[in-house]
Amino acid sequence: MTTTTTNAGADWKSPEAAARVRKRHAGDLRLKFAGMAALGFAVLMLAILLVSLFANGYQALRQTHASVTFELSAEHIDAADPQRGNYRAIVQDAVQGLFPGIDNPGELRSAVGILSNGAQNALRSIALNDPSLIGQEVTIDVPLSDPYDQLAKGLVDRDSPEDQRRLKDADIALFDTLQARDVVSLPINWALVTNADSRFPELAGLQGAIWGSFYALLVCFVLSFPTGIAAGIYLEEFAPKNRLTDIVEININNLAAVPSVVFGLLALAVFIGWFGMPRSAPLVGGMTLALMTLPTIIIATRAALKAVPPSIREAALGVGASKHQVVLTHVLPLAMPGILTGTIIGLAQALGETAPLLLIGMNAFITEAPSSLVDSSTALPTQIFIWADSPERGFVARTSAAILVLLAFLIAMNAVAVFLRSRFERRY
Amino acid sequence: MQDAITNALAIKVACDKVNVHYGDTHAIKDVSIDIQDKTVTAFIGPSGCGKSTFLRCINRMNDTIDICKVTGRIELEGDDIYDAGIDPVQLRARVGMVFQKPNPFPKSIYDNVAYGPRIHGIAAGKAELDEIVESALRKAALWNEVKDRLQSPGTGLSGGQQQRLCIARAIATAPEVLLMDEPCSALDPIATAQVEDLIHELRENYSVVIVTHSMQQAARVSQKTAFFHLGFMPEYDDTEKIFSNPSDKRTQDYITGRFG
Repeated sequence: MTTTTTNAGADWKSPEAAARVRKRHAGDLRLKFAGMAALGFAVLMLAILLVSLFANGYQALRQTHASVTFELSAEHIDAADPQRGNYRAIVQDAVQGLFPGIDNPGELRSAVGILSNGAQNALRSIALNDPSLIGQEVTIDVPLSDPYDQLAKGLVDRDSPEDQRRLKDADIALFDTLQARDVVSLPINWALVTNADSRFPELAGLQGAIWGSFYALLVCFVLSFPTGIAAGIYLEEFAPKNRLTDIVEININNLAAVPSVVFGLLALAVFIGWFGMPRSAPLVGGMTLALMTLPTIIIATRAALKAVPPSIREAALGVGASKHQVVLTHVLPLAMPGILTGTIIGLAQALGETAPLLLIGMNAFITEAPSSLVDSSTALPTQIFIWADSPERGFVARTSAAILVLLAFLIAMNAVAVFLRSRFERRY
Repeated sequence: MQDAITNALAIKVACDKVNVHYGDTHAIKDVSIDIQDKTVTAFIGPSGCGKSTFLRCINRMNDTIDICKVTGRIELEGDDIYDAGIDPVQLRARVGMVFQKPNPFPKSIYDNVAYGPRIHGIAAGKAELDEIVESALRKAALWNEVKDRLQSPGTGLSGGQQQRLCIARAIATAPEVLLMDEPCSALDPIATAQVEDLIHELRENYSVVIVTHSMQQAARVSQKTAFFHLGFMPEYDDTEKIFSNPSDKRTQDYITGRFG
């Protein structure tokens, strides 16, 4: 055996050696710049997305209102039954009061159109809440209908030819009269989150969709989290390594890659078709999303369990812990941060999932927030889908605003994930 | 004289024709050894010769490896530990183990030591548990260093302290046999000396089996030494004899540094 003590062949000062060093440094730099360029590109794309969403969506964050005084005259409302009052007439009277110059029914009808249809509903709920107000005057802020809202926000070109505008010169004149009286305001559009969906953009909000998504995610979490963890633990810790478990494993990995629309079809056929569960219900939506989230959670659980150092298992086994004690008290707590991260990623994915919800009817037009798991409802992504499809100008900005709301939810969920991870993370 | 005394001690673990297969690999070949009570037995031999594998047969840790098959007979005080009636979990409480790398649980020092007694229902109440923890930590020569911070995490201790914590954890269940798999390989000389002192004291109550790569350590701490080579155990005798006058050529080659 010979041992080499000196490396006589290498001359560290030769030009070749210097060239090698330069080449290696250049390689390091290239790799670094490639990484920075990729990151820069990703950040740029994200910035473009957010800027365009804000540019489109900020208009929907405010809504033009007019402060109007209505007389809840007893002539139009029966105090014994405020539900069936003639609120249209009350609004008409108020509009007549606003514009005393109007003297024919046609002009009055188009003038009434300046106020949102929501005015009648607002008046009805006032009368229902406090019947003592009947016979008196109330002054409330009423949203202006969509075309006038656009006008107030400066989105209508007054100089364009009249026949290319939805609002005629006479309509614009009416609005200007209102504005001159200083009753028009542009407050923050809380209706966007406190109202449910509506045909009228000025009234449409996301409350139904938010609750629908919340319920669906709740169902999804309750079903997929324990099931996924249990399945992951079994496959990783207990299952014998044989053909059957191999097949199960391959199928789980495949399931994670199945297009979501397929899960929607499955849910339509099985949950709604066979089991006769209600259409459009967050319960079914959540079950469908759980099918999709389950493989993600199982895979995350297995990866997290695998990452726990074997020395901890040996230590526990060495003092005579049984298999389930090892798993539950030692391995699982250490794997929890990883499992939670995987779960939140799965749930975030489920929150944004549209296709399967369309198939089970969660894109229905529903003007009330669901009050239970089986009430018909929409979800945030399907609501975005519906609004994006609506012709009214007001929905353009609202679609972007709804996407911003959805993104806000995603960011909040990710923040929770980061918090939980740091909370559970332990050194070993 | 010394020989006569050690030979008179009772046999704690009797192994007869033990064979271990890892899949196609025949790791332990026909090893028969009687391990005495209240004795430190050292397993020495070159890397990969089967010392640790054999050690792990004695508390059935090899059961956790799917492809590992153990045949032959190992008796703990006359009971076949591979008998269907023996619960490996209970066995591991009777045969404690200390691993090569300190592996405390990511829990407090107290909980690390109290874990074994808790799961085996050894302590009747909180007071008794406190007592067990204190006595285990005292035996492991760690009590004075940690008594004021029993609730701080065990992973925050130094390497040597962690290993002594693991020893305290292993003896808290009052095992009859303590298996140590290269317990000092990750420790500095000072911590090693502390652990060796500890092994000396443990001999009064336990049968200790220690795998080591350091022949000096084997000579220092053990009364009996078994030499392993390529899965066989060519020689098992009093430590003094092995190191002064081995009867097998392979043993002699190994301890004189001709291979390994």
